[in-house]
Amino acid sequence: MSRPADLVQGTLDLLLLKILALQPLHGWAISLRLRSLSSDVLQVSEGSLYPALHKLEQEGWIRSEWKQTENNRKAKFYSLTRLGRKQLEAETANWRRLSTAISQVVALSEA
Amino acid sequence: MRPEHWWYTAPLRIRSIFRRRRVESEMEEELRFHLEHRIEEGIANGLSPEDARRAALLAMGGLDQRKEEIRDARHVHWLTDFVDDLRYAVRSLRRTPGLTAFIVLTIALGVGMTATPLSMLDALIFRPYPVPRPGQVVTLVSTSRDNAFDSFSYREYRDIRDHARSYDGVVAHTALTTVAFSPRAAEIPRIRGALLVSGNFFRALEVEPRLGRGFRDDEDRVPGRDAVVVLGSDFWKSEFGGDRSVVGRTIRLNGRDFTVIGVAPDGFTSLYIFDRPDFYVPLAMAGSFTTNPKKSFFSDRDDRELTVRARLRRGTRLADARSELQSLARNFAREYSSTNRERGATVRTMLEMRTQPGDANWKFAVIFTTLAFVVLLVACTNAAGLLLARARARTREIAVRLAIGAGRFRLVRLLLTESLVLALLGGVCGVAIGYLGIAALQRFSIPAEIPVRIPFRMDERVLLASLGFSVLSALFCGLAPALQGTRVELVNGLKAGDVQEPGRRRLWGRNALVVAQVAMSLMLLAASFLMYRGFRHSLSEGLDFATNTKDHVLLARFDPRLAQYDPAKTQRFYRQLVERVREKPGIRTAALTQNPPLGLEGWDLVTFVPENFEMPRDRDVLSSRMDTIDEGYFETIGIPLVRGRGFRSSDDAGAPRVAIVNEHFAQHYWPGADAIGRRIRLGGPNGEPVEIVGVAQNIHYGDTFSGRTDFVYVPVAQHPVTRLVLMVRSEGDPLQLLEPVQEVVRSLDPNMPILRTMSYAELYRYSVVVGPGVAIKLVGTLGAVALVLAIAGLYGLVAYNVSRRTREIGIRMAIGARPRDVLRLVMGKGLTLVVIGTVFGLAMGFGVERLMNSMLFSAAGTDVTVYLVVVPAMLLVTMLAAYFPARRAARIPPTLALRYE
Repeated sequence: MSRPADLVQGTLDLLLLKILALQPLHGWAISLRLRSLSSDVLQVSEGSLYPALHKLEQEGWIRSEWKQTENNRKAKFYSLTRLGRKQLEAETANWRRLSTAISQVVALSEA
Repeated sequence: MRPEHWWYTAPLRIRSIFRRRRVESEMEEELRFHLEHRIEEGIANGLSPEDARRAALLAMGGLDQRKEEIRDARHVHWLTDFVDDLRYAVRSLRRTPGLTAFIVLTIALGVGMTATPLSMLDALIFRPYPVPRPGQVVTLVSTSRDNAFDSFSYREYRDIRDHARSYDGVVAHTALTTVAFSPRAAEIPRIRGALLVSGNFFRALEVEPRLGRGFRDDEDRVPGRDAVVVLGSDFWKSEFGGDRSVVGRTIRLNGRDFTVIGVAPDGFTSLYIFDRPDFYVPLAMAGSFTTNPKKSFFSDRDDRELTVRARLRRGTRLADARSELQSLARNFAREYSSTNRERGATVRTMLEMRTQPGDANWKFAVIFTTLAFVVLLVACTNAAGLLLARARARTREIAVRLAIGAGRFRLVRLLLTESLVLALLGGVCGVAIGYLGIAALQRFSIPAEIPVRIPFRMDERVLLASLGFSVLSALFCGLAPALQGTRVELVNGLKAGDVQEPGRRRLWGRNALVVAQVAMSLMLLAASFLMYRGFRHSLSEGLDFATNTKDHVLLARFDPRLAQYDPAKTQRFYRQLVERVREKPGIRTAALTQNPPLGLEGWDLVTFVPENFEMPRDRDVLSSRMDTIDEGYFETIGIPLVRGRGFRSSDDAGAPRVAIVNEHFAQHYWPGADAIGRRIRLGGPNGEPVEIVGVAQNIHYGDTFSGRTDFVYVPVAQHPVTRLVLMVRSEGDPLQLLEPVQEVVRSLDPNMPILRTMSYAELYRYSVVVGPGVAIKLVGTLGAVALVLAIAGLYGLVAYNVSRRTREIGIRMAIGARPRDVLRLVMGKGLTLVVIGTVFGLAMGFGVERLMNSMLFSAAGTDVTVYLVVVPAMLLVTMLAAYFPARRAARIPPTLALRYE
């Protein structure tokens, strides 16, 4: 329901963790980053972004903090926790395994 | 989950619950921040502000839905929803205050009725020993053919302690014994209760004295050397005002100086249920306390006065401990065949000790609890019926909720929350009712020498159980209505509201409720009536002697050991006491007995072999209850002799041995023949021969629940006893004899304490009137409450049915039905249910009668009278409950009924 059909299950979590691993960001900035990073290939509905962020926060993988933006407005900034870093590593490894396996299968079928 | 995980998430959860508003507003703020940027972006891309806003919201894909998803992510939804449901439940219950009050009251009665029996059950069976790790403490018992819970002798205890490997410490203690206590040598002693315990008692039970210390092993080694005492905590507070300097002080017990070495901790009241010892004294001091002058405590292997407890070693199985003890007992039987032949031993758990087959108290508690739970069930069915009616009346509301998208599970939860609120309110009120019941039990006083502790109390265990049961009853009475109420066909529900025709299954459920209620109430009524008749019956026999005696006899108990009398001096004292008392004016007769009938102390047992009687093949001695009396006994207590003679003063130590038996005994061993002149041998086949010189009438000896029993009287002159009761009989008020008796005692020895004086009426009142009265009242209350609940429930259900069918009745009457037909229509249905319920109730009643007879009254057969009273009464009452609503229905004018919605 919250995830677009074209996004593999659990991938949004991985993307968000990865983006936040680089620097703390607020929701709007994350959505911009998502758009530019995936060069519009991955369609992430803005609507599903916030529930996903809150879910990660409740899991203890990211934490939030209200801070001033450059435009001097208050915004909720998310950053990775120690737990989140571990989770990112695990999910990255997982993703590597999965994508390798899939590309092997794909390669097979073409041969 | 790992702790680190909790470290991050726990504060968030707590924040989501307690700072809900703040969290919500932060969420709003965050989303607004996003939307504003999105709109700015849109405007920058050349959209109009309205279009930009629309595009932003569109990208979000349903703002409110997103918010819900975010709330779901907090994982506390179940709780916040519950709080919402609770608020809603309270609001909707307040809209129908009458119905709410009625349901709450119903559940309160149900729960309240269970609290009192639960407190009894807990105190008598389940409450753990007041020691650390109580589950490991077991009781070692000696077993013989007649007694599967016998005590051990001192020698046996020492052998077990030294040889058993299954335990971390084996301790022994006596039963609570009376002791003459005086804080200083000069003061007249008072009677208190003491427990003789082995030196390792406190240590092995892991009970740490709150002051001073427990016993050392060497203080329990040499008989009579170490006169040290540990005080009970309550006694320390009441007698010494909690003075901490009491340790090291000297007090007098039974005429001997004891040094106080410690005070037992609060809440430690020995391992007995009813006792609260004031003193703990080492077993080695038994010489100052001995109760059996014929036996030597430290050397006789058959002086069995010790309860032996042990702490099972960790990892040792009960079965292993048992087989170890059994093999020890076999060794005893081989080595000491004169005292231990045919004697075994086993290990008992706390539960086994407290549910001994010979004890009536716990059985009563079990029966009482069972009946109380039936009352709770009746209350629950009542509440369920009412909630069912309530849910049906809300069909339309529920249909609307379902139509706008509420899940069925969510609605069931909402409705269950309502019944939970009802049940908890009822539970709290019920606890209050139960508290009153328990308070009434605690006022119950027992005229014993040492105050008896009434262990029933409303403690956290009972409280928790009561509230637990009210939650259970919420589930029980709320689930069916909730499930049924939410199974609504939307179109019909929205259209027709309440007048929807119920399906067959729904009617079946409601009818079953009525049947169950009638059946259970009938069973309860029968049970309470049976209990009443049972007590009356067991008390109607053998009390003739007391009708006159109770108003004219005074009792005074003595124990000359407390004044340091030896056996010879004791005998002389009693002889002189009776002689001088008899000379006093106003005293008609006087006598000595070990234990007056209906007394609180258990009877001694005597073992014997009747001459010319063919013994059962598997045993070589028989036993009977006995009393030691003097020549004035039968005249004073008022028991007639059926044959032969009473004791004479010439039946003394030098004369041939004589005894008197009761009719039951005579019939038992010499049926159809004259018992006078027959002989029995006391103790065994080679014991001294005793001639039977008289046969006394059977009486009620004291145990409320016991049937007829053998009884033997022996003369005190031939069987000296130290503790005796002086009975004096007057023409008028027995309490006026108190002064002359005290005068005589003072003239004999000013230091001789009189342990307890009371009129026989006091004993009689306790044993015959108050004790059984409490039981009858308790069960009677249950029956009455059940009846009231059943009437209310039946009335409610019939009335509800009538009101639901008002329009139908109107139509029937409009096309020609007479009021009589309507009455028959409405009542006929109710009556059918009542009759079916009565049949079930009768069956259940017979079952309960069986149970009570086997457990309490040792009677057989069916008490037809009970059912002849109860069944018609029940039918009448239920008919009335159905009649009134039916009559109201028959009187409704058709025009009104047709318009009724």
